[in-house]
Amino acid sequence: MKYSDVDVAVIGSGPAGMAAAIKAKEEGAEHVLILERQEQLGGLLHQCVHNGFGLLYFGQDLTGPEYAHRFVEKVRDLGIEVLLETMVIRISGDRKLTAANSREGTIFLRPKSIVLAMGCRERSRGQLSIPGTRPAGIFTAGTAQRLVNVEGFIPGRKVVILGSGDIGMIMARRLTLEGVEVKAVVEILPYIGGLIRNEVQCLYDFHIPILLEHTVIQIHGEQRVKAVTIAKVDKNKRPVDGTEQNIECDTLLLSVGLIPENELSRMAGVDLDPLAGGPVVDERRETSIPGIFAGGNVVHVHDLVDDVSWEAEIAGAWAAKLAQKGDLGKKGKIILRPGRNIRSIVPQTISGQNDVTLYIRIKEMEEKVQLRIGAIYNQAFRVVKPSEIIKVNLLQKELNSLRGKTTELIAECEPFDLPA
Amino acid sequence: MGQMETEVLIIGGGVLGAVVARELSRYKVDVILVEKEADFGWGSTKTNMCIVCQGADTLEFRPEYHRSKLVWDSMPLTEPLCQEIDVPFKRVGELALIRNNEELSKFQKLKSRAEKIGIGSHKFLDQETLRQMEPHVTRQAIGALYDPNIAIVDPVRLTIALVENAGQNGVKVMRETEVLGISQKVNEFEVETNRGPIKCRFIVNAAGTSVDRIARLVNSDDFVLYPIRGYVGIFDKNLGGLIEHEIHMRPDAPGQMNIITPSVHGNLFFGTTMQPARRGDYSTTRRIAQIGLQNVRKIIPDLSEKDIINSFAGFLMFRNWEVGWHECVVQASLKVPRFISICIGYPGVSAAPATAREVTELLRREGLRLETNPGFSPFRKAPPVFNKLSEEEQMELVTKDPGYGHVVCRCETVTEGEIVEALRHGATTLDGIKFRTRAGMGRCQGGFCTPRVVKILARELGIPEEKITKKGRESRILLYKTKELLGAEL
Repeated sequence: MKYSDVDVAVIGSGPAGMAAAIKAKEEGAEHVLILERQEQLGGLLHQCVHNGFGLLYFGQDLTGPEYAHRFVEKVRDLGIEVLLETMVIRISGDRKLTAANSREGTIFLRPKSIVLAMGCRERSRGQLSIPGTRPAGIFTAGTAQRLVNVEGFIPGRKVVILGSGDIGMIMARRLTLEGVEVKAVVEILPYIGGLIRNEVQCLYDFHIPILLEHTVIQIHGEQRVKAVTIAKVDKNKRPVDGTEQNIECDTLLLSVGLIPENELSRMAGVDLDPLAGGPVVDERRETSIPGIFAGGNVVHVHDLVDDVSWEAEIAGAWAAKLAQKGDLGKKGKIILRPGRNIRSIVPQTISGQNDVTLYIRIKEMEEKVQLRIGAIYNQAFRVVKPSEIIKVNLLQKELNSLRGKTTELIAECEPFDLPA
Repeated sequence: MGQMETEVLIIGGGVLGAVVARELSRYKVDVILVEKEADFGWGSTKTNMCIVCQGADTLEFRPEYHRSKLVWDSMPLTEPLCQEIDVPFKRVGELALIRNNEELSKFQKLKSRAEKIGIGSHKFLDQETLRQMEPHVTRQAIGALYDPNIAIVDPVRLTIALVENAGQNGVKVMRETEVLGISQKVNEFEVETNRGPIKCRFIVNAAGTSVDRIARLVNSDDFVLYPIRGYVGIFDKNLGGLIEHEIHMRPDAPGQMNIITPSVHGNLFFGTTMQPARRGDYSTTRRIAQIGLQNVRKIIPDLSEKDIINSFAGFLMFRNWEVGWHECVVQASLKVPRFISICIGYPGVSAAPATAREVTELLRREGLRLETNPGFSPFRKAPPVFNKLSEEEQMELVTKDPGYGHVVCRCETVTEGEIVEALRHGATTLDGIKFRTRAGMGRCQGGFCTPRVVKILARELGIPEEKITKKGRESRILLYKTKELLGAEL
């Protein structure tokens, strides 16, 4: 394949990138190219050796590498082109794409459409501004996961984990199984940040101490981490004087949130949604720049890999259509706005001409509420949590009633008296 | 190890030790430079705010102070130096904000004084001009004193480049070499280090935060220094275009400073609070971080905590407690011959070039013979920086060395080729790679590249990955292999 002939270029080959590329190919795009910076397809799935992948998508309980493998086979069978160890270093607003690898040096492409599928990265210590010294032994949970599961190293033998995100909890279990003493999982919120199944299977089942409403307020040790000081926090997440305690440890893992990785999106100049963290997209997952699509954790951080792949398939399908037709018709006109206790909604705009699934992220845990979207949807919940995304399906016929009448839909989560 | 011998021993591989080493390499003099850390510039140099040819701040320096002269004399020397040794130098200019008439009259006095001294290129800007130059600056500023001369550098890169150039010209450089004791003979010193004794005739003590301790080893305690700790924060590159100038605001409380500046690499640095602290305690505190953010928001109200990617503390050694009004130490010992101590305190990088000349002169007066080194070359070439090259140059580089096509640090686009090159230039640690190439300095702070850089380090140094350290000594990164702990317990 000549690079000048690429119809759809997909950046990244994790659960989003591969799904998007496969879908694009299946929808008739001739030349589909995946650009992947690592040595193999699969993105972060390779280091996720635990199970729980594909329960929805395949109806089977798979490990990360198994989940990846299903897609890798399909990529191969369909004849999708792949460039490994290739880093995309620039995208311009007119879809010019520059990549680099060791074999060819710099590569220039101008695909008919691009799917952004770069995934997300972890929040670091510096961003949390955790006070203290700067020794070795501080890792994000995902880096530790790679070290243990791919590289074959254990960062240390006495570990404190700050944050109860899913990767943190999974690493608590993984390290315990390696003979490491996980001294505590410390969470600033009054509830666990990740999925309930991980809370049960990774923490409770392994008797790992959980300290809710606590945080790390100081890191000790000049050369290597020697200890951390933790403290209870008040309602405003401020440490309470007199509740400090020292925990001796040689390693601190951070599992304090994921951030969609949008360096390239920013470079291309697509509009970003500060609430979701990724590009503003319509229900086709097209960004503000025609021909540039996005899917998976680059758009917003999902709870489940299955949703990542499904969302990216939407992007792949429409990217293929655009590459073939050259035009997708009018953009979505209806803007979705987060109202009370809603952090973010994806997609941010819809046309009202297609069925659509909305991904709604709650701001704070709340009991007895109803979720309302304009006048066309409401549902009661006993409890809503930020750790569990709410998926709402809106049918085209419901949306039809809005056409021409409204340009804005507000999603709100409001108190609601549930019958006992 | 056999007895090492040299004419001049420089203790300390920060910017001052390095600049002196490079200056001495112009002459036929045997020089050894010892640094106790695994790489150069890891003390006060590393925590410098990157600003050189200091502006409004240094205007306030007392003209009769030695430090003032060194800073002012260095102003015309820094840019040519950076060009010779191929390190970034960018004249960004400074805006010293004026919020009221009191500040205006203060700056008017400073400006006319600067003109008298002959360092004045300052001019006053009204609010509108200021707003045009820096649209995000606080509305409280009614104008600014503009100094187009102020520039920014990368102090660690500058230091490394100086050491490399000195090395090319014959200076012997030893890292992870700590001075443990000094015994004095009539005509020479015998310096005890963890790598064996070094005999020398002259000592240049540029030991940064340890400069007074080293002086005491030879009973030359004729100055007293107080450690003052400063706090620096770094904003994400996203905000790189937010301001173009270094912006300074007079602090509202004593012991604080209030500066924000672009860095040569595209981040924003802000500096705040300078307080006495226990020496060697580089820890940061929540309170200081909060004050820092509050202060910098007084200059640019839009800045948000969530864009801070890192923060750190650094030490300045001052001759008195009063921040801003200290004097430096650049002197031959009053008691011990052939022993010279240097410590600028602040602003060390700005004062470096003139300090090197002065130390050379002091050494001459102490009896060092200075004959021109005919082999001296002032030029040193920086290793290639992939993401600064044109597409054609990138292509050419990858063809020559495929490692340059393999991007290891995604945030800063650092390639394997650059990392291997930094290793060849002497980096042996994760932090060494970081300061030399910027791998791990981006917004993910090494989350992605750490395992990869560790792997490259192990491969190139030919040692197991568990032996790789963050910054030398006891700072190993990976303590065990998988299954190792299970074996131990069963």
